[in-house]
Amino acid sequence: MATHALTPATSTYSRGRLYEWLTTTDHKKIGIMYVINSFVFFLIGGILALVVRTELAQPGLQFLADEHVYNEMFTMHATIMIFVFVIPMLAGLGNYIVPLMIGAPDMAFPRINALSLWMLPLGGLLLISSFFTGGTAAAGWTSYPPLSLDGPLKSPGSGQDLWIVSLILIGTSSILGGINFLVTIFKMRAPGMTLFRMPIMVWTVLVTSVLVVMATPVITSALVMLFIDRNYGGHFFDPFGGGSAILYQNIFWFYSHPAVYVMILPAMGVISEVLPVFSRKPLFGYKAFIFATAAIGALGFSVWAHHMFTTGSVFLPFFSLLTFLIAVPTGVKMFNWVFTMFRGQLSLSTPLVFAIGFLTMFLIGGINGAFSASVPVDFALHDTYWVVAHIHYVLFGGSVFGIFAGLYYWFPKMTGRMLDEGLGKLHFVLMFIGFNLTFFPMHQLGLEGMPRRIADYASDAGWNDLNLLATVGGFTIAASILPFIWNVFISLRNGKIAGDDPWEGNTLEWATSSPPPPYNFDHLPEIRSERPVFDARHGRSGH
Amino acid sequence: MPATGGRDTEGALINVTADTHALTPIEHSPMASLAHDVRGGISNPILGMILFITSEVMFFAGLFAAYFSTRANFVDVNGVKEWPPQEFASILNPFSLILVATVILIVSSVTLQMAIWAIRRDDRRGFLRNMAVTFILGITFLLLQAYDYSLLFHEGLTMGSGPFGTTYFTLTGFHGAHVFGGVIMLGVVLYRGMSGQFSSRHHDAVEAASLYWHFVDVVWIILFSILYFL
Amino acid sequence: MSTSPRKRPAPDALVAGLVVAILVALVGAVFLSGWGASLYPPQAATSEARNVRGLYDIVFAFGLAIFVVVEALIIWSVLRYRRKSSDTSLPVQTHGNNTVEIIWTLIPTAIVLFLFVISWQSLNRVNAVSASPDIRIHAIAGQFQWQFEYLDASGSKVATQLVPVYDVDTGEGGMAVPAGKSVQVTLDSPDVIHAFYVPRFLFKRDVVPGQTNRFEFTVDASEAGQVFRGQCAELCGTGHRRMLFSVIALTPADYDTWLKALIVKANATPAPAPSGTVLTLSALNIQYDTAALEVPADAPFAISFTNQDPSGVTHDVDVRDSSGTVVANQEVVNGGSSANYVYDPLPAGTYTFFCSIHANMTGTLTVK
Repeated sequence: MATHALTPATSTYSRGRLYEWLTTTDHKKIGIMYVINSFVFFLIGGILALVVRTELAQPGLQFLADEHVYNEMFTMHATIMIFVFVIPMLAGLGNYIVPLMIGAPDMAFPRINALSLWMLPLGGLLLISSFFTGGTAAAGWTSYPPLSLDGPLKSPGSGQDLWIVSLILIGTSSILGGINFLVTIFKMRAPGMTLFRMPIMVWTVLVTSVLVVMATPVITSALVMLFIDRNYGGHFFDPFGGGSAILYQNIFWFYSHPAVYVMILPAMGVISEVLPVFSRKPLFGYKAFIFATAAIGALGFSVWAHHMFTTGSVFLPFFSLLTFLIAVPTGVKMFNWVFTMFRGQLSLSTPLVFAIGFLTMFLIGGINGAFSASVPVDFALHDTYWVVAHIHYVLFGGSVFGIFAGLYYWFPKMTGRMLDEGLGKLHFVLMFIGFNLTFFPMHQLGLEGMPRRIADYASDAGWNDLNLLATVGGFTIAASILPFIWNVFISLRNGKIAGDDPWEGNTLEWATSSPPPPYNFDHLPEIRSERPVFDARHGRSGH
Repeated sequence: MPATGGRDTEGALINVTADTHALTPIEHSPMASLAHDVRGGISNPILGMILFITSEVMFFAGLFAAYFSTRANFVDVNGVKEWPPQEFASILNPFSLILVATVILIVSSVTLQMAIWAIRRDDRRGFLRNMAVTFILGITFLLLQAYDYSLLFHEGLTMGSGPFGTTYFTLTGFHGAHVFGGVIMLGVVLYRGMSGQFSSRHHDAVEAASLYWHFVDVVWIILFSILYFL
Repeated sequence: MSTSPRKRPAPDALVAGLVVAILVALVGAVFLSGWGASLYPPQAATSEARNVRGLYDIVFAFGLAIFVVVEALIIWSVLRYRRKSSDTSLPVQTHGNNTVEIIWTLIPTAIVLFLFVISWQSLNRVNAVSASPDIRIHAIAGQFQWQFEYLDASGSKVATQLVPVYDVDTGEGGMAVPAGKSVQVTLDSPDVIHAFYVPRFLFKRDVVPGQTNRFEFTVDASEAGQVFRGQCAELCGTGHRRMLFSVIALTPADYDTWLKALIVKANATPAPAPSGTVLTLSALNIQYDTAALEVPADAPFAISFTNQDPSGVTHDVDVRDSSGTVVANQEVVNGGSSANYVYDPLPAGTYTFFCSIHANMTGTLTVK
């Protein structure tokens, strides 16, 4: 294997490196900054989660001053994790990898790309700043009115307004990013890269971007109306002023359900890249997988009201049926992944280990989601810890494991150096154990009737042991992040030189140097399938 | 695009193994594909603008959904189910200043289209003249709307006057903000046009700005019909 | 170019098969031994809940079966098909298999359609409300207290239960219902969204301001004498976790007695204004009108309290000493009504008077 590592191209600018990064329009640098920014907020959101878990470790209010502070903690935890970690993290991975995968020199609109990036730390800081300006939003990440309206015992103060403004900012960043992805994917593909030769990761980013462009403006409208109600005497959502509390939920979930797919589809894309490479087989059912992705995207727009089954004001059978149907394309994907590994030659490197973690955990998140699709069962489970377990099995067991699979997989491409395998597996084992310790007991807590978002519970309710277990698990997850940070730190200095194609990859990013030069490619291999680099390595006989 | 990618191509390589006998790498210049799409079709800025307008449509869809929901649920303090509420029954008269504003906005779309046709046949004078007229019409619309707001305030319709006032000012206000954004776009296009940056071969920015302006126009026609007639 | 994986030595397959078998056995053992019971909801207390429980069991059975099959496949693949140093050539490059893919699209579709149909049937049972239920209760959830109005057949109020939680010591409080009779609950909120949730009913319904939700349930006759824990399940602000209530299942005869007592209590003539120090205090917008009261030491005193908030918002005026011990605990007053609270003599000192429902409503009571 004749690989020569390229030294990164030296800049022709005489400016400092910091200035270069701050002003760059290179999608790779922007992607890396997306990832770093998201990771910082992941740590902040994680600390907030630990605060919540510490308070719940035992019955009684020991750790936090009062319930209001507790409400702030879980509100900010969810808001940060969803809007400033998972969504931008996946957008960052996509930003880095999509142009490389389709053989493009950059995104279609590099300067708008930089704008999308810089709106994120701004929005995140605005959100965080409310900690220092008299209290944050405390009405949950869903911020249902009337609770999120202005008034005594509701949400007086600037925290809720800062929350609204920062989400609008982050949403605008998402929309601009989504448009950029779509134009890039439609217009910037290398010759020979037809739509049905695009890597699955690109397909998932494509469907995600459609969801972002169509759904995010809808939540912007809801947030704008909430802001008007709070600050200019509006009457959209105040039921005692001619408005409707349920209206907000409809508009909110019209975005926020597709947002769940925004958070999971690119992670599925990562898994669909990792599994074939480390199994040395093509993805089983490439086209079926694409149609399943598109189906999930389309169904994603018609199931929003399954978050509102207990409100007594939605047409239950319709939303129940469509919610059940989402299980079908999701199941198809699950089988595609498993049969990609089946009869392969698996190298259990860290990216694959995280991908397997994704499969096993996302399976649980999919199955326990079907319980809530069954409306009468949802009447029992809604707004209990069961739902907390479900979203974490999907968004942590799914998205976060997928994100780490992607980070371990592309770190060599981004930096030119390998991460340490031993530390990577330590990270996985700790995270996998901690994750299940934290979230599996929540199924039982929910069934036994522990509602979400309570700061305290009766000591005789029988929830003490399970809560303590979940808290221990939460700290185990926190501990698992330390080997990861240490791994990145030492590998950047002393990691093994990766070379262009350390994993024997399939897709075009492995056909250029690590890290790739500005504008990515000087030459491209011929693209005749969804695995051009595989074809180049093995020739036609590989088929 | 600054030529920061001026790397020594000798050092470049494709990382593929030796048995790629049949696979000659295709020459693929990054500069070429950045500058122009080889396969033709719709250009990047225009596709980007169409997608942006799609997202704007969804934004207004959210506001319209809220409007219709609020309107359907509305019952005034006396239990009367009537829209507009009795106290504001005659406040929105379509045959007033607002009709003038509507006509102005529609005319501005026409003049903008004439500007597009002019630049497509390289008639720069015609382009600039029509562009300037459109720009002025846009500003006139905004001024008329501001004046109309002041009249409504005088008659007691504000954001706080029940769901009727809230929806009216939110819908027209956000439309006005979009007109304002469109006027800025037109101003930039006009400025660039005056410095001779557009030709029949190169005027994506003009096409994109006109798409946006037409969109804003269509939203107003829908808004006007719903708020004043329906 | 590639060897079939079948020709590889067998030990891998043996190990993988063994691990899968052990895991399946483990899952089976968990459920047979009773440890799996914690993955089922608590015992159903109403006829509707038994219906939901039946549905849950079916969904759970399918979920468990799918879980075991897919996890077994994953574990089998990971353990069986590891790359070895002897693997010089590629494995068979399978791109897909239409038959298999159609099968695994159709089977899940059939399963979810079946689950949908049985869910729908169950929904029609659980969600049904009749025109003439045996008992009507109007539950009002305000920040942060429940109250239950008992209605007669025509829908007019006969009595109000202002104490939502059953007290084991006094036997007071809670929403009593007759076991074996159908109870229709209508839900209203004067402020934000709450949710009526009783875990053993396997049911919850949101209490949405501006919209009256209703549902019906029949507690099993065998549950008479039981007290069920209930709680607000929709975040409603700082006092969310304290919005507890109890549902007490009584025999129909006991229920009649209970309701009569409640009516008597409601119609009792209010205590005459006591002699001695009488202070006035009122509450509006979840705030007392004064933050400081003063009474003489070692003498009984009274507070004439008016709750000017809307109906559904309850307040009271309790007193705690500087160490936090509650020295006077009064019953709550609904919005729009008033009460004369009588307090026992207090030794000189500084106390806090507060509303037990709203933590933000406090003031200083100086006794000297």
